[in-house]
Amino acid sequence: MKNTTAKRRTAVTALAAFGLTIGAGGLGVVDAARPQSSGGEPIRVGILAECEGAFGGFNEDVVAGVTLAMVNSAGATVNSTTTALDGFSDAVAGGRPIEIVGVGCGDDTADRIIQEVRTLVEQENAEIVIGPLSGDEAIAVANYAGDHPEVTFIDGIAGSQEPTLQVQSENYFRFHGDGAQWNAGLGDRLYNEAGWRTVAVIADDYSFGWTSAAGFIADFCAVGGDVVTRVFPPLGTTDYSSFIQQLPDPDEVDGYFWVVGGTGTQAALEAFVNGKGDLTGDQHAGNLFFNPSLATALGPSIAGAYIGGFAAFPADVTTPAITEYLASADTAFETLVGGTTGGEAAAPSQTLGFGFAYGYYVAGLAMVQGLEEVGGDLSDGHAAYRAALADMTLEAPYGTVTLDENRQGIIDTFVAQLVLDEESGEVVQETVSIIPQVDQTFGGTFGPDTPPPSREDPECVEADLPWSGNAIPVVDGVPQTDGATEGSGAMTEGTEAMSDDTEAMSDDTEAMAEDTEAMSDDTAATTETTSAP
Amino acid sequence: MKPTRVSTRTAVVIVATVALAALPVVGTEFFVNFVVTRTLILGLAASTIVFLSSYVGMVSLAQFLLAGIAGFTIGNCVAESGKGLKLGLDPWLAVLIAIAVTTTVALVLGALGSRATGIYFLMLTLTYAVIGYYVFGQVTSISGFGGITGVNPPGFFDMHPVRLYYAALVVSLAAYLGFRAVRRTPFGLTLEGIRDDPIRMSALGFNVPLHRTLAFGLAGLVAGLAGIVNIWWNGQIDPNSVNISATLDLLIIAVIGGISHLEGAWLGAFVYVVANNYLRSLPLVDRIGITEARFNTVVGVVVLIIVVASPNGLMGLITGATDRVRLATSRTPVPNTTMPTTTPTTNTTPTTNTTEGSR
Repeated sequence: MKNTTAKRRTAVTALAAFGLTIGAGGLGVVDAARPQSSGGEPIRVGILAECEGAFGGFNEDVVAGVTLAMVNSAGATVNSTTTALDGFSDAVAGGRPIEIVGVGCGDDTADRIIQEVRTLVEQENAEIVIGPLSGDEAIAVANYAGDHPEVTFIDGIAGSQEPTLQVQSENYFRFHGDGAQWNAGLGDRLYNEAGWRTVAVIADDYSFGWTSAAGFIADFCAVGGDVVTRVFPPLGTTDYSSFIQQLPDPDEVDGYFWVVGGTGTQAALEAFVNGKGDLTGDQHAGNLFFNPSLATALGPSIAGAYIGGFAAFPADVTTPAITEYLASADTAFETLVGGTTGGEAAAPSQTLGFGFAYGYYVAGLAMVQGLEEVGGDLSDGHAAYRAALADMTLEAPYGTVTLDENRQGIIDTFVAQLVLDEESGEVVQETVSIIPQVDQTFGGTFGPDTPPPSREDPECVEADLPWSGNAIPVVDGVPQTDGATEGSGAMTEGTEAMSDDTEAMSDDTEAMAEDTEAMSDDTAATTETTSAP
Repeated sequence: MKPTRVSTRTAVVIVATVALAALPVVGTEFFVNFVVTRTLILGLAASTIVFLSSYVGMVSLAQFLLAGIAGFTIGNCVAESGKGLKLGLDPWLAVLIAIAVTTTVALVLGALGSRATGIYFLMLTLTYAVIGYYVFGQVTSISGFGGITGVNPPGFFDMHPVRLYYAALVVSLAAYLGFRAVRRTPFGLTLEGIRDDPIRMSALGFNVPLHRTLAFGLAGLVAGLAGIVNIWWNGQIDPNSVNISATLDLLIIAVIGGISHLEGAWLGAFVYVVANNYLRSLPLVDRIGITEARFNTVVGVVVLIIVVASPNGLMGLITGATDRVRLATSRTPVPNTTMPTTTPTTNTTPTTNTTEGSR
């Protein structure tokens, strides 16, 4: 018996050892060659998408964003007009072909995205990585970027503050806002238009929840408001009643600001109704998680609530640039199936009109524009390319983007409101203003040396916000730029140009109107089922 | 036991070690620094499941949590900014603290579960894993759901992935030899006695709960070492690193390799990591719907096939095959040791050590 045992073990251990060794040699062939960064060679690009987790349904959406950027700016043609996952052909930027070497499969956790980015960079030899989507992922990837200076990273649509403001890797660029920036202007609006002076904040207890709440708190406190209570239910909470009890009663506070995402949005509001009384639109506001579909479950009394912004504007805003962008999506693809469309084949403009796909579109656009500027030259550790990215003025459909010294986007964002559509009797989202040129620091409230947003931070302090008083009103979806100041980005230019193009646009716009109407419903439904970027 | 047998086995271990030691010379950067390093780390963690299962009859789902505790301890001690305690301590001091914390937690958890057996012990350790996940997720002073990022290894390993590979190899080898050595000690023999018949061992005067606690503590210590190397290698840790999915992945690794073979832990980890990284690269597999998004499905099918074909995992298949070859060549009957008798239970039948042959 023992004799047999010993021999067997011997054989087994030997097999294992040789298996490993043979595996090493065999697999070595797979990733032996590293491409040169010289003219004519393909530029190897990896995409960090999400195929599992809360955003798993948006995998195709974000790949479609990059693909459309290649079509619109690098002359690519899509390989399939009904799915973005089949990739594209013939993309050329700066004289060099662009090759997608892999699409990483994240699940919105930092742990997984590190495995995926390592595969793209260390196995597939990606030279440029676009992504990730989610906040915690971005912090991890930005840290990883610091250890891999040979690769350039362009963030997809992650909304945490730290990747650019605190981590500050030289090779990590973000051409969209963070969760705080997206809420710029909302506090100002609630203080000056809705007359709120005190507010209770209830937010998801993780980086995006903290960052999103931080943007509102910084904005509201800057103009003189006071945050009396902050409550942070953990992610995955199903019964919010104990957290609702920690909030002040409706007669003790002017309003409530909600940053509860995923399935929690509705659950938390229902718990509020049970614990504190009816919801009234004039006493509630939320970040991008607030959407018209809430009225389906909670009744139309939620109408009147103000909502913070996201990367792509609501469907009611039209400018020539937006119209052209959405039309290009419908030209490039016939239909797309994604998270935004609820898993059904639908008009591609529906997918590309939502922030997830748009964020990746902007990243792709920036990547190509940078490559064009340097003629595809990635030599010297991408030095010229990164300088081009850092100095870039990116004319993106939803507003011009420039980068600050931390390579973080200075963006246009918006404030919207849930309103009751008298014709249909339904609650819809309506854009009320556009906040131009929002930077990450909120006039110095946030900085590399300030603590990142958390349960306690930022403190509630008055400050001068650069965009205070610069909000561009939006009337019937058209930004009114007369009173806007300088630097309001594409919105200003776009609207000026608009009068010339109005006639030519009318056909497209009508067609768009149908699409976008459908989009607002579906987008809302989608947002409800997901968590945060 | 003849000396030649021991030396042969030792020789094979040496060959395996030499092959792995030479790997950085012949293998690609990615294969060495990512695939095999991760294999060694996961194998090391999985080996503690195998140790507890095959030596003491305790199937634990808390091993990844213990690895995570070590990782979070390192993160809290070393990181100077971001989330957590940000103590900014010396990385090597952090290692000592992490080992102490992890072993202490393992001993406490082991003591709590020392009287539970079989499915109840499994459930108890599952509870530990779930509690651990929520503690790290919700107690934001030590982590929060975002976890701790930007954790650098000691300077010796920083930006030297091959050195880290060797660290993983050395620790794995030490754990493998250590676990084997334990079996020959009175402590190890007592553990096997407890596995086969705890009541009889208790009647003989052995303190069964104490031995189980100590075994769990030892396994916790080794899992902690895996956790330390893992955070050095990964640079970050978050609660999802120790969630139920990760916990089950580790059990799957042990099952794929063979839960009663120490070597199987690393073999299972190798299969798991290779499948995870290379499945998506195979030509045409996406045409049949196998993409990286379907990885869990594929692994599930692999586990199903292995469990049906060989309850002792890949190691069982390999040992069964070698037995048959030997039988055919020597024409001498050899006992079939791949029968599903290996997962030790705490049965009270005074059997002989039926699992010995398959380890």
